[in-house]
Order: sequence, then C-alpha cells, then structure tokens
Amino acid sequence: MSGGTIYTETLVHSAPEQFVNEAPYQLIIVTLDGGGKITGRMASNDRVVIGDHVAFDHDRNGTPYFRKS
Amino acid sequence: MNVIKRMVDESLSDCNLEVVLGIGFLDFRLGRTWNFAHFSTAKFAKERYPDLCMRSVVVAGIGKTAFGALADRDLRSLAVEAGEKCLENAHAKNSQVEAFYLGNFAGPSFVGQNHLAPYVAGAMGITGVPATRFEAACASSGAAFYHAVMAVAAGIHDAVLVLGVEKMTSQTTPKVAEILAGAGDSTGEVRAGATFPALFAMIARRHMYQYGTTREMLAAVAVKNHANGAKNPQAHMRKVITMEQALNGKPIADPLTVYDCSLVSDGAAAVLVTTAERAEEFTNKPIRVLGISQISDYVALETKEDITRFDAVRTAARKAYAMAGLEPQHIDFAEVHDCFTIAEIIATEDLGFVEKGMGGRYVLDGKTALNGKRPINTSGGLKAKGHPVGATGVGQICDLVMQMRGEAGERQVDRARTGLAQNLGGSGATAVVTILGVQ
Repeated sequence: MSGGTIYTETLVHSAPEQFVNEAPYQLIIVTLDGGGKITGRMASNDRVVIGDHVAFDHDRNGTPYFRKS
Repeated sequence: MNVIKRMVDESLSDCNLEVVLGIGFLDFRLGRTWNFAHFSTAKFAKERYPDLCMRSVVVAGIGKTAFGALADRDLRSLAVEAGEKCLENAHAKNSQVEAFYLGNFAGPSFVGQNHLAPYVAGAMGITGVPATRFEAACASSGAAFYHAVMAVAAGIHDAVLVLGVEKMTSQTTPKVAEILAGAGDSTGEVRAGATFPALFAMIARRHMYQYGTTREMLAAVAVKNHANGAKNPQAHMRKVITMEQALNGKPIADPLTVYDCSLVSDGAAAVLVTTAERAEEFTNKPIRVLGISQISDYVALETKEDITRFDAVRTAARKAYAMAGLEPQHIDFAEVHDCFTIAEIIATEDLGFVEKGMGGRYVLDGKTALNGKRPINTSGGLKAKGHPVGATGVGQICDLVMQMRGEAGERQVDRARTGLAQNLGGSGATAVVTILGVQ
C-alpha cells in the first residue's frame, strides 16, 4: 500500500470513548492507487479534502495512517 | 423436491406473486435458497396450489410509549407498556399471541440483559410461544416486523406481536457512541475511530461533492422534522428550530452538527400482525401490508462502490413496490430513516421519490413538508420524535398506521391511503421497506 486519493473525509469532534483524547481527528476513506478503498486516519495535523493525494505513513493497531503527498 | 421445483418453475412463468412468495417460503423451509426477484401476475397458480398461497397480512393494533430520556424507566417497563397498549388497541388477549418477535439492538451492552425476548414476553404474561430477539442494528424491529409478516403470510402463525425497544440514556454520550459503533465493522472503520455520525458525515461530504448538496439542504431536513415533532405529543423533542440554529449547531463530525443527528432516546413500540381474514376480531381499522422487503449489504462503508446511495434500500424498495403493484408516485406519505439529515435526503432518492442527487433540493423546496406534495416524517422522524434504535422500525409502522386511521391529531395529513416506511441498519447493511394501504 503506497498511497491513493481521498474519496471522502470528516473531522471527528465527538469521539467514541476509546478515542476521546485524540479528538478532533480526521477520518478518511482512501481510493488506493492499486484499486479498492480503505478507511484510515491522517497521520499529522494535515487536513485533506476530497481529491487530495495521500501516501501511506504507518500502521497503528491495524489502522493505516496517511500523510499528504 | 422435484415437485417443489416444478411448482416454482411453473409459478415463475405464469402465476400470482402471492403464490410465488408462498412457494418460495416453503422452499426456504426446505433448506434451499431462493430468489424472490422474478414473478408475474396471473391467477391460475393460486387455484392450482391454494395451500401455498401467501395470506393477506394486516396490522391490527399499535402501541407506543413516549420517546425520550426517561430516567425513571427501565427496558422491561417500556417494552411492557408498548406491548400492553398494542394488545388493548387490538382488543386482544395475551393468550391470543402465537409468537413474540422482539427488535432490540444492544440491550446487553446498554442495560446488561440478554435473552431479551422471553424476558419481555414473560413480563407480559406471554409464555409457551416462540419468543425471539432480532438484531439488525437500527433496523432491528424492522427486521422483526418483516419476519412476522412472512410467518403470518405463510400460515405459520395467525397473530404475532412485534415489539421494538431500546433503553439508551443510562450511558454517557461517548459510551453510547461506542456501543452504536458496534453496528459498523469492528476490524476496520470502527478501529480507525469511526462513529456513526462520522460515517454519515463522510457520506454527506461525498453527496455534497458529487451533487452540490449544501449545508442549507441538510439543515432543511432538521427544521422540517422538528416542526413536525413539535406537533407530536409522544416526540422526544417538541421544539421548533430555525434554519439559523440548525446551521450553527455544535460540530459533531464535519459537516454534521448536533442538529443533523438523531436523538439518543429510550422508548418502545409494538404492532399486532395478523391475517386480513381474522382482522375483524381485533379491529375495524385494519391496515394492510401491501408490500415488504428486507435486504442486506456489506457492513463496512468502504466496501460500497458509491456511498451516496444505499443499494440495500434501492433493492428493498424495488421489491416492495413490485409486491404491492405500485410505483413511487403512488405513495402518499412516508416515514424514512433520518438517523442523520443526509440519510433522509438519500432515502428520498433511493425510494424513487426524486431523481438521484436532487434529494436536497426536494426538501429545501418544501415538497416533503407536512403540507407538501409528499409529506415525509410527519411524526418528527428520528431527528425529533427520537431514535431508541431497536424501537424505530416498529415505531415507523405505528406512525404510518396512525396517519392511515386518521388518528394523527395536529400532524394529520389529508391524503394518507398509501404509506411507506424505510428502516435502515448501520450505514446500509440492512434495509427494510414496507408499504401499507388502507383496506
């Protein structure tokens, strides 16, 4: 998994119990360059909109984190 | 099996839909999967296989608690109140209930009680019958209703009590968000931090991107449904809101604010499902089930090709319309699953009331208002009436029936002969569409 294009996104203000300390965070669905879609998070405070290109940054607990590219 | 296969083949080529469904159900009981998609109408099969005909099904009684944050009420007392009101409304005794179907999403997580169907049925004095809980996220009681209609139609039972209940407000908001997120994919989107508002926020973003839907269009859903809810004495929030308020709510998951989200509520609703033939034992105002379908899809949002539509809803709608022999333009009014404002906009598109992408304009122009061409969510919807998730599907059926009987008080619409309910589970992995008609 190298990267892809933002298919949709949201900035989550009201988080579930286990993520309350991380809010607000941007949740994204990425259309991968190799095909298919995956749900992940932005790795930093970079904010993205639909159509932006992102690159895979790291994996944490099975969730892919992306950065702007 | 060969006999069944021959009957199915003959039925498919030239027969009555009711017979096809009846044979389909029999086939299903024999352990074969069966596709309900193909049928035509004719009478000969009904004459040839009278025992296999689906029976006409009606709703003969309704009962609901008020929806709200009901601190002094527990799950069982809410359920019993709705169930008893329903039996009273149908002039039925609990001994006449042949099966008890309970819709409940997360009783074990919200209140720590499992084995809920006999737990509630027993409290109503109903024992010695099949008592089963249905769980399909926010479509739990829609699914229970669908299966009750199937069981009555197929001749398995004559009277099924269907009850939906949820007790949510004893938990904190982050805990509620976490429990509700259990209706998503726990190994993907939920692990990444998705809540249901976040999933529908992503749907809204995409709808805005593809179709130019605006924040004002989303807000118009909230303003309309609050206006309707203010006229509903059983609604959770009886408060009119302005467009300005709706646009300036506290952000939950961009672009959705608190005014785009349905309420966290306690409540219960019940209906008695029986045959058209036996209806007069219970009521002089039976409401007929003209069409119904329940359809599944993948759970995770990322698996959908296009998240601006719900394919399960579109398929369920197509099948329900076909079963009823109706088209979208024949529907006078509807209760749709506005768990979030964007969901109502998409529902009007998926149900064929308006062209794809035009749902936002449709509500903004007032077409779905109480005095509009096709009133939607006259009860106030999940947005204002409240959304005790397990009660919502059956609650919608109660709301349709009240309008069709002319018992909707201040929010009564002029024309309510044919009504549709659309109940959605999760981000579209379960959909139930029901079409009711005045007999």
